[in-house]
Amino acid sequence: MTPRLFLRIAGVEARRRMSYRADFWLNLVVGFAAKFGLLYFVWTAMFRESGAATMGGYTLDSMLVYYVAVLLVSQIIIGAGFESEVATDIYEGGLNRYLVFPTSYFWFKYAQRVGMLLPVVLQFFVFGGLFVLFSDATISLSGLVMCVVAIAVGHLLFFTMSFPLQNVAFWADNVWSLQVALRLTTSLLGGLMFPVTLFPDWLQAVNAWLPFHVLFGVPAEVLVGKIGFAEWLPAVALGIAWIIAVGLLDRVVWRRGNLQYSGIGI
Amino acid sequence: MTRYARLYAYFLRFSFSRAMEFRLDFFFRIFMDALWYGVNLAFFWVLYRHSGLLGGWNFDQTLIFAAGVFVADGFHMTVFANNMWMFPILVNKGDLDYYLVRPVSSLFFISLRDFAANSFLNLLMALGVLAWALIRYPEPVGLDRIAIYLALMGVGFFINYTIHLLFLVPVFWMHSGEGLRDIFFTLGSYSNRPDGIYRGWIRRFLTTILPFAIMVSFPTRVLFGGNVGEILLHMGIVAAVAFGVLLLFWRLGLRAYGSASS
Repeated sequence: MTPRLFLRIAGVEARRRMSYRADFWLNLVVGFAAKFGLLYFVWTAMFRESGAATMGGYTLDSMLVYYVAVLLVSQIIIGAGFESEVATDIYEGGLNRYLVFPTSYFWFKYAQRVGMLLPVVLQFFVFGGLFVLFSDATISLSGLVMCVVAIAVGHLLFFTMSFPLQNVAFWADNVWSLQVALRLTTSLLGGLMFPVTLFPDWLQAVNAWLPFHVLFGVPAEVLVGKIGFAEWLPAVALGIAWIIAVGLLDRVVWRRGNLQYSGIGI
Repeated sequence: MTRYARLYAYFLRFSFSRAMEFRLDFFFRIFMDALWYGVNLAFFWVLYRHSGLLGGWNFDQTLIFAAGVFVADGFHMTVFANNMWMFPILVNKGDLDYYLVRPVSSLFFISLRDFAANSFLNLLMALGVLAWALIRYPEPVGLDRIAIYLALMGVGFFINYTIHLLFLVPVFWMHSGEGLRDIFFTLGSYSNRPDGIYRGWIRRFLTTILPFAIMVSFPTRVLFGGNVGEILLHMGIVAAVAFGVLLLFWRLGLRAYGSASS
């Protein structure tokens, strides 16, 4: 796929996403505030009742800053409303038109997913900017750049992990549950539910080799200054290695699934 | 009443036979919910590695609370969730007409038409986790307290259903109900944490106006010596008021409903 075509597909999807303004603003303001509010109450209670000054290397304030960062990052990585589109194409036979397109279905769908980012990127900068303005948090330029790179890797990795699960629709009727399972696993092990430093040492050691931490934890940690270049580089490299590995799996599942596909829906 | 019970029995029969047509999805859903239980238990397990108490409860108490959350979720997913998911689609496509012309309450029909047979197995699994959490609890809990707890959980299920539908009813006036639906799910996570963590005006708000914090936490308090009368009264009033508001908006919504043009 040419970069020009990729950007055109992304642009069309971005315009489509911005057309549901009421939903967008409701989710932007209330959704974010509600998620952060819950985490605020959990962690103020944790620090109050334990009497501890730090947990997993975080003070209460730095924990809250981490959550602002990781919530914003997760909105970009996970996105919204895409989970079933590939599966729906397969299930309803809509895949037919993509098969005759002279371009890769995987990259076509990924371009659409990039286009969906416009609202959440807006959210990232609005809330991120407001938070930096009204709090003591400081964000360095190098941290921001490393964060953006980690997000780019995490975004493609999440899509790559999600793709074969959606391709299960070649054989099954509904794969929504598998997408939710992916979200649950990545939220727990990726640092979205809490910083991975809160895990016991043995789990941290195992998790360091899995693809989850680079999804949410690494971009958030580098943004708030918890990790530097020395930790960021191997984490991002590991993320790229996982993209390649899972990408190979994607190809196998996609090819086998295509053999099952009748073109008239399941 | 008998007519409604018989009708619901037909719903059940139809739902079970339909669930068995999609066998893989049936097992995927069971797997997903089991994973959700595991992730939630892992969440609390990690938190309690760093603090002895959360919201005034120790780990054993929170385990019972978490199991209660699973049961509440399993019940909602089994009985109401599919119907709640379909409701905005029915309104937007004008398919609500089909429900309005039936000689039964439209609210009953829309709320209970689809029984999620696959989630029913998860409900049984959640009840198993609850039984395990209660058995392993080191303090004695009287059978009378457990009976009151279960009854109050029923009130919590009802409040959850009412609030969920209240978040969807604006679809009669709005073109898309997705925003409010997503907010309900986000706010719903407030019921998945012990109510003791909420302080100040937010606590008052979450126990009255948007009563997410009482659905599971308040019944669980009964097991640990909470004031039964006070909790019963509080939950009863909230349930009655919420249902009254729902009925009001339901009637207004039906009046605003213009079939396919909604």
